[in-house]
Amino acid sequence: MSTLTMTIPSRQRSATTGIPFARLCGVELRKQVDTRAGLWLLIVIALVNTALLVLTLTTAPPAELTWSNLTSAASLAQFVLLPLIGVMAATSEWSQRTGLTTFALEPRRTRVNLAKLASAGLLGLLVMLLTAVIGAVLNVVGIVFRGGDGSWAMDWSLLAGAALALLLLVAQGVAFGLAFLSTPIAIVAYLALPIVWTTLTVFISGLVGPSKWLDMNVTMLPLMMGEMSATGWAQLATSVAVWVGVPLAVGLWRTSRRDVA
Amino acid sequence: MINAEHLTKRYGRHLVVDDVSFISRPGRVTGFLGPNGAGKSTTMRMLCALTTPTSGRSLVLEHPFRELTNPGRHVGVLLDASAQHGGRTGREILTLSSTLMGLPRARVHEVVDLVGLTRREADARARTYSLGMRQRLGLAHALLGDPQVLILDEPANGPDPAGIRWMRGLLRSFAEAGGTVLLSSHLLHEVEAIADDLIIIGGGRILAQGSQTELLAGVSGLEELFLDLTADTAREGVAA
Repeated sequence: MSTLTMTIPSRQRSATTGIPFARLCGVELRKQVDTRAGLWLLIVIALVNTALLVLTLTTAPPAELTWSNLTSAASLAQFVLLPLIGVMAATSEWSQRTGLTTFALEPRRTRVNLAKLASAGLLGLLVMLLTAVIGAVLNVVGIVFRGGDGSWAMDWSLLAGAALALLLLVAQGVAFGLAFLSTPIAIVAYLALPIVWTTLTVFISGLVGPSKWLDMNVTMLPLMMGEMSATGWAQLATSVAVWVGVPLAVGLWRTSRRDVA
Repeated sequence: MINAEHLTKRYGRHLVVDDVSFISRPGRVTGFLGPNGAGKSTTMRMLCALTTPTSGRSLVLEHPFRELTNPGRHVGVLLDASAQHGGRTGREILTLSSTLMGLPRARVHEVVDLVGLTRREADARARTYSLGMRQRLGLAHALLGDPQVLILDEPANGPDPAGIRWMRGLLRSFAEAGGTVLLSSHLLHEVEAIADDLIIIGGGRILAQGSQTELLAGVSGLEELFLDLTADTAREGVAA
C-alpha cells in the first residue's frame, strides 16, 4: 500500500475486441455455481439423486436394473431444483446489485440475459450427461453385485425427452427470474403458479380442455415418457409459449429499460 | 474524456438531474461535489448507461457508453462498493470480471497487490469485508481493465486516513499519466486536496464549475464556496 506503483493508461493500446458470446456464457455459467446457494443446490441434487439410486439399486428386481432405468431413477432432483439456479442467475444481478458491475462491463443487457439462458441450459445438459454416466457406472454395480439385467440399450427418445423437458424448466426458471427480479417472489411464483393452475383444472371441468394446451405439467408428460405425437408437440409449444415465452419477453423488456441501481 | 450534454432525469414529477453539462478532461482529476440527493449518483449512472436519461446524452472517450467495445478496457467504474455478491470472495469477483474482459490471469494478482489487499483478505468472502476493504476491492475492480477513464462514486467514503491518502496518490498519478478521473464526494477537504477541476451540483442543477484555482479565487476555501452555493438550493428545497 505504501509503495505507489501505478499502471499507466496505455497510450498505444491495441484496438480492443468485443466480448464473444461464448465467453459471456462461460462467465455466466461460473456465476451460477460459484456462490454458496448455487453450489448447495448442486450438492442437494447430487444427494437426492444418490439416495434414489441407492434405493433403486437395493430394492428393484434385478430384471429392472438397466442403464436406461438407472439413469431415469437418478434424474428426479434436477427437474425440481435446477430451475432454481436459473431463477437466481436472473435475479441476483438485481437483488445482490451485481448488475452495477455486470452491465458496466457489457451494457447490452439482453445479450447478458440470453447468455444466462444459454448457460443455465448448458448446465442442465451437463447435469443430464453426468446422470447418464453415473447410471452407466451403477449399471455395472448392478450386474456385479445383484445379478442385474444390465442391459445397455438406452431409450434415447426417453433421455432426449427428459433433457428437453429439463431445458424448458430451466428456461422457465430464468424467465420467471427476469420477470419478477426478486429471488423469493420468482421462486414462489415458479413453484406455485403451475400447481395452482393444475389444481384449478381438477375442480373446474371447463378447464380440462384448455389445460391440455396450457398446462406444462400435462404437456411435458408425453415428452418425458418418450411418446410425443404431432398434437403433443403443438400442445407442448403452446404451453411453453405461455409459461416460458411470455415471462421471458416481459423479463427481457423490463430489464432492458430498468435503472440499474 | 467525459462529455455530459444536457443530461436530465425525471422520475414522475421529480426532477432529479436538470440539464447537467460538463466536460471531464484527460490528465485532470474532476471533483463532482454536492450535498446528499443532489443528483451525483444518478448522473454517474447515466454516464455508464445504467440509467437512461429522460433527455440529453453523454459520451465517454467520444462514444456513448453503450457503444464502447468491451467498455471495461476503457472505463473503470466504481459506483457502489457494497454492490457485490457477499458470497463470492474478492478474488472470485475480480476473476469473473477479468475473464469477461479477456485479461491475462496474472492481472487479478496485480490489482490485488496494487490496492493493498492481502492474500488472505482477497480470499475471504466479500460479506466479511469492512467498508474500507470494499472500497479497495471496488478500486481494484475499476483498475482491472487498465482503463483510460475512471468514474468513481464516493471512493473516499470508507477508507481510513492512510487509505485515503494512498488513494489520492494513486488517482493523482493516474491523471498525470494522461488518464481522466471523475470522482464524486461530499468530503470537501478530500476533493480540495485532489481535484484540478470542480463541478458543484445541487438540487439536480450545476451551481458552479471550473478549475479549482478559478472557483476558489476570492473565497476563503472550498467549504465557504460550497456552503454559499448549496445554501440556496437547500432553501429552495424547503420553500418548495
